[in-house]
Amino acid sequence: MADIKWIGDLETALSLAKSEGKPVLLDFFNPN
Amino acid sequence: MGAVTYPDSRVAEFINNRVIPVQLLFDSQPYASMYNVKWTPTILMLDDGGKEHHRIVGFLPPEEFIPGLLLGMAKVNFDRDSLGQADGDVEKIINSYPQSAAAPEAIYLRGVIQYKETHNPQPLKEAFEKLRREHPTSEWSKRAMPYGLL
Repeated sequence: MADIKWIGDLETALSLAKSEGKPVLLDFFNPN
Repeated sequence: MGAVTYPDSRVAEFINNRVIPVQLLFDSQPYASMYNVKWTPTILMLDDGGKEHHRIVGFLPPEEFIPGLLLGMAKVNFDRDSLGQADGDVEKIINSYPQSAAAPEAIYLRGVIQYKETHNPQPLKEAFEKLRREHPTSEWSKRAMPYGLL
């Protein structure tokens, strides 16, 4: 089973989005 | 989402290949306030500047989540005038997930995209006719009604 490679901070994700030409999927979650 | 949808291999593969995935706690500041998060799950599709283009609130099963993400990607591309890429995203929804909740909006958006690309109103009329035929109770069928007069 593949795991999603979640990133833990938005600034890093936006930087990757720029370099890879992809949109950002931002999931606000509740662990409880 | 974490128990059913994210562990699905189709969902994980789609996310890993097509988007940059970020998870933040629902009360993570300043982002929870910036994006007006009031309930979980709240899932946003952002462009590379952090601007929101699409929002999913509440659980979706895998067969609905992937077309929901494609719709969000189409909106990102549409809003930045990448019409060819947006058309590819909505075409995938229409052909691969025709019964999904995202399909009616995808049909509508495809009509708009193709009209903007060609300045020919025929795709708008075709979108209305397809919506009336395949999704007659959808709000998108109602929104497309004026195009039936073209």
